[in-house]
Amino acid sequence: MTNAIEVENLTKYYGNLLAVDHVDFQVEQGEVFGFLGPNGAGKTTTQRMLTTLLEPTEGRIRMLGHDLAQDPVPVKRKMGLVPEESNVYTELTAWENLMFTARLYLVEPGERRQRARDLLETFGLWGKRDVKVEDFSKGMRRRLSIAMAIIHRPTLLFLDEPTPGLDAQSTRTIRDLIRELNAEGTTIFLTTHQIEEANQLCDRVAIINHGRIAVIDTPEQLKAAFRKVQSVEVALEPDGQAHGESLKALPGVTHSVKMGDKWRLYTERPSGLLPEVMDYARAHDLEVVSLSTLGPSLEDVFLEITGQEIGAVRHETGESEDRKPGARGRRGGRR
Amino acid sequence: MKQGIVSRLMDEVTQAWTVAVKDIKVYYLKPGMIMFGFMMPFFMFFSFSVRREMAAAQGVARLLALTTFFTAASTGPFIIPLERRLGTYDRLLAAPMSLLSLLLGKIAVGAFFAIAVSIVALAVGVGVFGATVVSPGFLIAGVILGSFSFSTLGLIFGSIPTRNPGDVQMPSTLLRWGLLFISGVFVPLAEMGAMARALAYVSPLTYAQDLMNHAVLDRGLLNPWVDLMVLLLGCGVFLVPSLLMHRRSRRLGY
Repeated sequence: MTNAIEVENLTKYYGNLLAVDHVDFQVEQGEVFGFLGPNGAGKTTTQRMLTTLLEPTEGRIRMLGHDLAQDPVPVKRKMGLVPEESNVYTELTAWENLMFTARLYLVEPGERRQRARDLLETFGLWGKRDVKVEDFSKGMRRRLSIAMAIIHRPTLLFLDEPTPGLDAQSTRTIRDLIRELNAEGTTIFLTTHQIEEANQLCDRVAIINHGRIAVIDTPEQLKAAFRKVQSVEVALEPDGQAHGESLKALPGVTHSVKMGDKWRLYTERPSGLLPEVMDYARAHDLEVVSLSTLGPSLEDVFLEITGQEIGAVRHETGESEDRKPGARGRRGGRR
Repeated sequence: MKQGIVSRLMDEVTQAWTVAVKDIKVYYLKPGMIMFGFMMPFFMFFSFSVRREMAAAQGVARLLALTTFFTAASTGPFIIPLERRLGTYDRLLAAPMSLLSLLLGKIAVGAFFAIAVSIVALAVGVGVFGATVVSPGFLIAGVILGSFSFSTLGLIFGSIPTRNPGDVQMPSTLLRWGLLFISGVFVPLAEMGAMARALAYVSPLTYAQDLMNHAVLDRGLLNPWVDLMVLLLGCGVFLVPSLLMHRRSRRLGY
């Protein structure tokens, strides 16, 4: 399989600050490639270099067979970009935004109107085509921003945090669209904090930390390499919340995290911990409302590699939890 | 996809025009553009002309120079930092067009605005004050070349690597005001001392004002063809710092 993107020794300094540190990776044509990393790790800097918005200090980028530094225009014609902020023109209507982008990307006049109509219908915006975008919700702007990025049928699409802050319906629409585009052959470069999103969508993920690629692999291979972060999740009644310290003291539990009305108990041997939990419930006359074992999630892998605290990531994935004081990161995520 | 140098050039012109039309739709009616681009030159004119004995033709020549200068030079410093802040400039930079085409599109936006405002100023001068135009050819050429030249000058400030329009407005306003007082707009070149006149020759506005004097008053200090050549040269020369600063912006990440 040929590579859509080949990055060699890519480096970016801002003054004396090293933002991206001699990075190498390849993205195969037709794959969804996830680019994960904590804040400040170098994700957006890397993506901006790949999309020609930022000049690398060192290194080489080949994209769709072209050297990006030599003549970027042919590559740009085949590239779509959805930045983190929906950079649509709020003073224009949805239709005008699409027509502007289509003209900019030299879409033939006959095709551009039909393509704009198809996209507006796909994204549920056809009825709002003549409404100025300043009256659009965040989700509608996001959908329009993506429609603008694909109006010229790019073979390579860059998406920077496509779904944070969107409602469930918009999120699902966008994720389905990413799958459809990929099924049609579009290579997707997905920069995201949404680890579960990467898990669901990506063929491979790269985790970047402190400007360096820490690991690149498929989500399942990454998870398989981190079996030590398996867990048992239990909900007890009555007053299951009061038993956290006792559950944490059960044999084999390395640490515990409160997950809403449940406790997640991390262990290297979930099968050995299950009877311990049942015995504890019986001994204290508690009802086991739910009990399940969980393998390591991609979020666990991410936390393990980046050394992030779980609270930071949990907030970004939209879940909530009361992290116990001192409960160091590397702890579970719902799969 | 079109191939070859000619078709590539045609594509670039189409894209520059697309950018210009979009900017006209989006920004011409913005309060900032109306204030700095439309009202400011008229304010300036009336501030320095009221209660001064001045023939209608002299006033029109001054007003035309002011409108081409102030209006054209106001768009770049207004639009580009705003687009950088909103992230829409990235959309243009990532588009499959050369930086030169993008900047030419931006220059056209300011120039068209200045030409439109100059037509209003001329209509007021001719219709209300009864001024006459002696050399329509010089007037048209002066307004067009002056508008493009000053729009390119304004683009230099729009190219400063910043996302804050305020960072750009201050130096651009300082320069515009400074040039205004050294360029023979309020004090005719002929009445200036040798040092002041030498300084005036550095300012492109001097040549626009002199050309307007030729066109409306039929008297200028310099050869009108020299005025035209300097304005034409300005279109090219002022573009260079903008290109260099955009390359710097790309290194810095703006």
